[in-house]
Amino acid sequence: MAMFAAFDVAGSGLRTTRKWLDAVSDNIANINTATRTDEEAFRSRMIVAEAEQYGSGGGVRVAGAVFGSAEGRMVHQPDHPLADAEGYIRMPDIDLGDQMTSLMIAQRGYQANLSVVERAKDAYSQALRLGQR
Amino acid sequence: MSISPIGPVTALPSLPGLASVKAAAPPAEDFSSMLLGGIDKLQGLHSTTDALAVQAATGDLQDISDYMIASTKSSVATEMTVAVRNKAVEAFTEIMRMQV
Repeated sequence: MAMFAAFDVAGSGLRTTRKWLDAVSDNIANINTATRTDEEAFRSRMIVAEAEQYGSGGGVRVAGAVFGSAEGRMVHQPDHPLADAEGYIRMPDIDLGDQMTSLMIAQRGYQANLSVVERAKDAYSQALRLGQR
Repeated sequence: MSISPIGPVTALPSLPGLASVKAAAPPAEDFSSMLLGGIDKLQGLHSTTDALAVQAATGDLQDISDYMIASTKSSVATEMTVAVRNKAVEAFTEIMRMQV
């Protein structure tokens, strides 16, 4: 392992949590995006995290993204400009409560990785003070 | 009772594990090359940090945490190099102080 491995591992955690935050913010921003019934609805994005091998550095990375359902919900709104003949539009099937929970978990994960970086820096600086009189 | 006479000393049987024991190899590099290698790596860390700082200033940087971690790494590595240098200077002055 490299000398400051804790920094690199925490850095990979920070990058992955940042991408999770971005995905959640994208979902929340598009929670009211309506589409026609003959198109697919806005699909929510979920990040898939994968662990890196511990021998070659450790950490986590984003393996890919999984998209939610394209069906969405059919909402009856006849005066909407995109409404079809029966007055239905397609709204995304995103639950705001789920997204807010994911947002809080992602924020706490980001803070946890930041505290790992701070504590590792303190620990390494303490080691440097070993030989001082 | 009869006591058998002492026979001549025979050669010891060879120990089976002796063949696999090798002499300890001398260290591959000496202290000065280790120190110079450390300073080169420190230079590399500093240039990475500078490049990331330029990216952060122009707005190209995706992850602000990348820049902060690189600057933390280079500051800790600089502290370590300074501590090694201090110790080496201290050892040198200690030796110079010896009365001939």
